[in-house]
Amino acid sequence: MAKKKHGTEEAEKLEPAENGAEAGRKDTKPSAGQKIKNAFVKSWHKVRDWFVGAGRTVKGWFVKKKLAEEEVGPDGMRTILPNYNLTKKERFFRFCRSQSGWLFVLPAVILLCIFTLYPIGNAFVRAFMENYTPMNKRHPYDGWGFENFVRVLKGDTGMGGANFLQCLLNTFTITMISVPVSILLALLIAVALNSIKRVQKAYQTILFLPYLTNALAMGAVFATFFQIIGTRTEINEGVANLGLINDILGWFKIPPVDWLNPNMHAWGSGTVKFYWASYLAVIIYEVWSGLPFKILILFSALQSVNKQYYDAARIDGASRSKILWKITAPLISPMLSYLFITGIMGGMKQYSAIVGLFGPQMGMDYNMGTMVGYIYQYIDKGQTGYAFAGSLLLFLVIMAITGISNLISRKRVTYT
Amino acid sequence: MKISIRHLTKAFPSRVKKGAPVIAVNDMNIEIPSGKLIGLLGPSGCGKSTTLFMLSGLESPTSGQILFDEQDVTTLAPERRGIGLVFQNYSLYPHMTVEQNIMFPLTNMRIPKIEAKAKALDAARLVQIEDLLARKPSELSGGQQQRVAIARALVKMPNVLLLDEPLSNLDARLRLQTREEIKRIQRETGITTVFVTHDQEEAMSICDIMVVMKLGFVQQIGEPQAIYDDPANLFVANFLGTPPINIFKGRIENGQAYIGDEAIRAVELEDQEIFVGIRPEGFIYDPEGALTLDVDHIEVMGRDKSVVSRHTSSTKPTVRSIIDSDVKLPADSGVMKFNVKPNKVFLFNANEERIL
Repeated sequence: MAKKKHGTEEAEKLEPAENGAEAGRKDTKPSAGQKIKNAFVKSWHKVRDWFVGAGRTVKGWFVKKKLAEEEVGPDGMRTILPNYNLTKKERFFRFCRSQSGWLFVLPAVILLCIFTLYPIGNAFVRAFMENYTPMNKRHPYDGWGFENFVRVLKGDTGMGGANFLQCLLNTFTITMISVPVSILLALLIAVALNSIKRVQKAYQTILFLPYLTNALAMGAVFATFFQIIGTRTEINEGVANLGLINDILGWFKIPPVDWLNPNMHAWGSGTVKFYWASYLAVIIYEVWSGLPFKILILFSALQSVNKQYYDAARIDGASRSKILWKITAPLISPMLSYLFITGIMGGMKQYSAIVGLFGPQMGMDYNMGTMVGYIYQYIDKGQTGYAFAGSLLLFLVIMAITGISNLISRKRVTYT
Repeated sequence: MKISIRHLTKAFPSRVKKGAPVIAVNDMNIEIPSGKLIGLLGPSGCGKSTTLFMLSGLESPTSGQILFDEQDVTTLAPERRGIGLVFQNYSLYPHMTVEQNIMFPLTNMRIPKIEAKAKALDAARLVQIEDLLARKPSELSGGQQQRVAIARALVKMPNVLLLDEPLSNLDARLRLQTREEIKRIQRETGITTVFVTHDQEEAMSICDIMVVMKLGFVQQIGEPQAIYDDPANLFVANFLGTPPINIFKGRIENGQAYIGDEAIRAVELEDQEIFVGIRPEGFIYDPEGALTLDVDHIEVMGRDKSVVSRHTSSTKPTVRSIIDSDVKLPADSGVMKFNVKPNKVFLFNANEERIL
């Protein structure tokens, strides 16, 4: 559009507006294809305008406009001139001053870059370096390629060790079962906690204790529940220590289960097995240790619900369970969604729980390994290239799962 | 559904140890006939909302009985009483659409979905929101939300409809409109309706029967016009009427009621200190009138004049009289004499009870 002076503004008003907004045109609603085209055109305009602006700035550095007379006011102060009349030096100083905000955040940004962004970027870049041996200064890597990824997916470290698919199955099963169960249990407990008045504070304190306990310490205690101590002969003779849970099962005449030995109770054969007993042990541990935080969050979310909704629901004749599922849960759905998404993200990165229960070998050659354990084993064996590739893969998997959870939650969550 | 309230009392235990309990409702006895619109009227803290919640079952009384059609419901759970309750802030479920909100009571009664939808549509038509059924409550205006709340209360055809300050959250123009809506709905459905308000104008305009309360005690029950013309005590006389009634300190001596030194009317009562209440419309300009007022200024309203005056015996800073605009007053201010209409004069003894 050519530059127009102010006087011609009235003539401009009668020009038709762009893009189908006129009255009287037959196809006023843009079709789907047209909408996509409009979006592209808009972004192109944005990019084009940025370049034009940048060009004009650069031009301003070289072309000197005639400076206006400086006005000196009665108090002797120089009036501030508009930007295009400043010298290059003045314009530079003004620009520097306007960026002062960055100085305030500089310390945090520096730390962030050194300890978070650089390592992540570094890992993702070196994942593509084949045969990565940092010790060899002259020949650290062979070339760029996907070989690390292929080796990771095949699970072939050349030294024995876990199976990528097995670890993926372990992590996936444990997370996908323990997170919903944990949230459900936390909801029920929080609702129950909300309804008692007298001993409420005492129960709150007791229920919060697992949060304050170290994961490895908890794992050691849980080991007494699940761990069978003793040799084969001792078990057969019935003198071994079978662990608390097996003792209880014995009361119901159920044969003992070797919880912490994954290979003993597994479904399927071949490279990938479903270790149901060990999964159960880890799930119980995970649910129990994740409960306090979730109860705390849901309890405070429950407090923020207006009590009159419950009164209204009672008058409308809703039963207790109906109130819980149709009224209470939707009203705290933002919190439930938050717990679900962060629970899944945390669950996929689970490491210390497995180590606490199964020991650093994660049940004989990393059978019960999680994704993180799988990555760590490469570091143990000195093959950091594969570890980089594995962590990039894990990142993508978590991103995908989180994205899916996000999409699912968005429809069901009402933000009041 | 006839409602009988017998000796209803509600006492809240005191916050302080060994403190006296707060008695919100004190020995209330009311008989409410079926199919009428009843208003519980009173200032803040008089126990009207507490009474309403006891009728609904959300609060349990300390003593007394509530009977719905001769059946004792005092200890019956709210969901079994067959009542509909509209809260002051509507309490619409924000995560459900309007249609789901209205259908909610029916789904709890296990009515098949098609039938429930039809009933919800009927209720929506009754309150005139049938084209808003797909919206969520946050997308509605205040008046629309209130109508949804009323529809939700009515959809299960309750025996009693309870409304807690239904018009207090609305703006002035909407208030007038919604007042008429409530009256129309009540007449169409014939449901016994009890509503709580602190606005006497609102209560007087739509109620069939009014119950005036103060600090937990029932002051007077009756039809609005009857209460207005015949208040039982000074509080009721003061509470009803815009502009409010004018109260003078006076006395009875020798069979005459005096305000200051002027005799207003002859009475056959013993000598005592009294309060004299004169309604604003009870003044007649008369150059030889009985009562002298020092007129401060006259506010012209168009159809009548509001004469603002002062009097030494008045308990309020100004005395307001409504004079018809056809009457010519000698000046805009100054001392003028008025006569009073006998049926607009109420005499109250020193204990604020009505004696004439």
